[in-house]
Amino acid sequence: MARSTRVRIAELVLLAALIVAPLVVHDAFTIDRFGRYLLYAVFAISVDLIWGVGGVLTFGHAAFFGAGGYLAAIFMERGGWFLPLPLWPAIALAVACVAMFAVLLSGLAFRGPFPMRGVELAVITLAVAYLLEQYARAGGRLTGGQNGILIGPRLTVFGINVHRGRNFYLLAAATLIVCYVVARWFVSSRAGLVVRGIRDNEPRVDLLGYHVPNMKIAVFVLSATLAALAGALFYVHEGIITPGAVGVAASTQVLLWVALGGRATLIGPIVGTIVLQHLTATLSGRLLDTWILVIGALLIVVVMLFPAGVLGWLDRGPSR
Amino acid sequence: MTATAVRTAVVEARGLSKSFGGFRAVHDVSFELHEHEITGLVGSNGAGKTTLLNLIYGRNSITDGRLLLDGTDVTRQPAFRRVRRGLGMVFQHTTIFPTMGVRENLRLGALRKHPGADPSSPDEIEAMLERVGLAEQGDVEAATLSHGEQQWLEIGMVLLAKPTVVLLDEPTSGMTKAEAARMADLCRTLIEQQAVRSMMVVEHNIDFIRHISNHVLVMHRGTIIAAGTIDEVQHDQAVRDAFLGRQA
Ligand SMILES: Nc1ncnc2c1ncn2[C@@H]1O[C@H](COP(=O)(O)OP(=O)(O)O)[C@@H](O)[C@H]1O
Ligand SMILES: [Mg+2]
Repeated sequence: MARSTRVRIAELVLLAALIVAPLVVHDAFTIDRFGRYLLYAVFAISVDLIWGVGGVLTFGHAAFFGAGGYLAAIFMERGGWFLPLPLWPAIALAVACVAMFAVLLSGLAFRGPFPMRGVELAVITLAVAYLLEQYARAGGRLTGGQNGILIGPRLTVFGINVHRGRNFYLLAAATLIVCYVVARWFVSSRAGLVVRGIRDNEPRVDLLGYHVPNMKIAVFVLSATLAALAGALFYVHEGIITPGAVGVAASTQVLLWVALGGRATLIGPIVGTIVLQHLTATLSGRLLDTWILVIGALLIVVVMLFPAGVLGWLDRGPSR
Repeated sequence: MTATAVRTAVVEARGLSKSFGGFRAVHDVSFELHEHEITGLVGSNGAGKTTLLNLIYGRNSITDGRLLLDGTDVTRQPAFRRVRRGLGMVFQHTTIFPTMGVRENLRLGALRKHPGADPSSPDEIEAMLERVGLAEQGDVEAATLSHGEQQWLEIGMVLLAKPTVVLLDEPTSGMTKAEAARMADLCRTLIEQQAVRSMMVVEHNIDFIRHISNHVLVMHRGTIIAAGTIDEVQHDQAVRDAFLGRQA
């Protein structure tokens, strides 16, 4: 008990330091870039929930992050019927639609006539991301095809412009903190305990009388919802969304952040995302090529030596 | 059938069969588990004992026959629904949550599984830690426990789910004599204090059965060839033929 409280406090200090440091050290332009990393970090948390905590590997989670962005863009930029919508209703509706889609998809995957697990599910998520990417490319007027959608409206909160620089950063930080707290609450809730149990030993959870498929659906939908929120904010800030947003490449990149940071720690993926994104952005030219090789090598080392990730290793020791 | 009027059957199996491909692992097995009674299930390796338990708790689908829990037909119900009706299963190869703490394992047993269920309280979790001899290890990762301790942990977890019938598959395998004696005590206490209504114990160790039960079923090649007290079945001609025939 005492130890886990200490770990929790250490995590909060680390999170606070990560969030405050860019504000102190950097110029508005760099701070803006760090704001994007924080939204990516929310994406990483969402993947950590389903993969790290739930044990369900997904190769297609950008489908939810990107769909949040695409739907928000469509709701704001396309006309007809009740459209276009203002910024926040558009984002809220986009997140709700993604959540509904996640309910349908996970319901079919976990409670359908052929319940899926392990690799099967990984392949399904891969296929969903691939299909969405293809659809976005071919989607004509709705998705803008290859050129994507330009998003005009700027991020504002109560009339305050939070679209760039420090203000955007604060918005991203607030989003990250809220999503982190929600994810942490879930993990320590009863449902979270059961989901962790499913990762450890699914048949035993079933034989204690829990409804395993419903618990998986719950964590899947929560994960997709957080990803959609982060994605909607991310792409409105970008001002443009293109088919790669929902694709497979974007989906595998986030796995790297989570794996290196430390699965099932929630805080590890945040650190992994920020550090990797920052280094990738800072290095350039030949150094960047080398760096990509270094990341690849690093991933192999981490997976082999510290399967729990770097923070997971610090948290529990190497003999996990 | 007249016996059921006097003694309530908590579990009733009628002509249970299980085929794997063409192979009949369990064939036309009928028995009842009664209130306040521990039923021993004995038989040589490969007799079909584990498969029979699998049929009862729902891991294997029933090929033929019917299964009733408290008079309700559960033949086609999935495992978790049977568990919700009061089945508790303790495996031969322990199934705990290795990366989670000992207390967390027990909490998973204790929590409410569905609306209307009766969960175990935190106090009951602490009492169970004591009862299964893990009071000192509440916060350690379950994977670090010894094999014997993991067996006790699994039993504690299952009991916290408040089952009415507990099925145990070779609970003393790998236990020392002293531990087996503790296990026998626990089984007897659970029945005497009416913490559970009925139990079925698969066991190789006939001395262990003798300590906890006066009613055994003998299984051989997928069928039950004798039922009665230990002394009765030991003198049963079919049992003698089966086992002498096997050993020869
Ligand atoms: N899933 C299965 N598929 C095929 N054969 C099985 C399966 N499970 C058990 N059997 C066979 O059924 C027979 C009974 O096995 P089991 O129930 O484990 O016996 P016991 O527990 O009495 O030692 C064995 O011959 C075993 O090989
Ligand atoms: Mg067996």
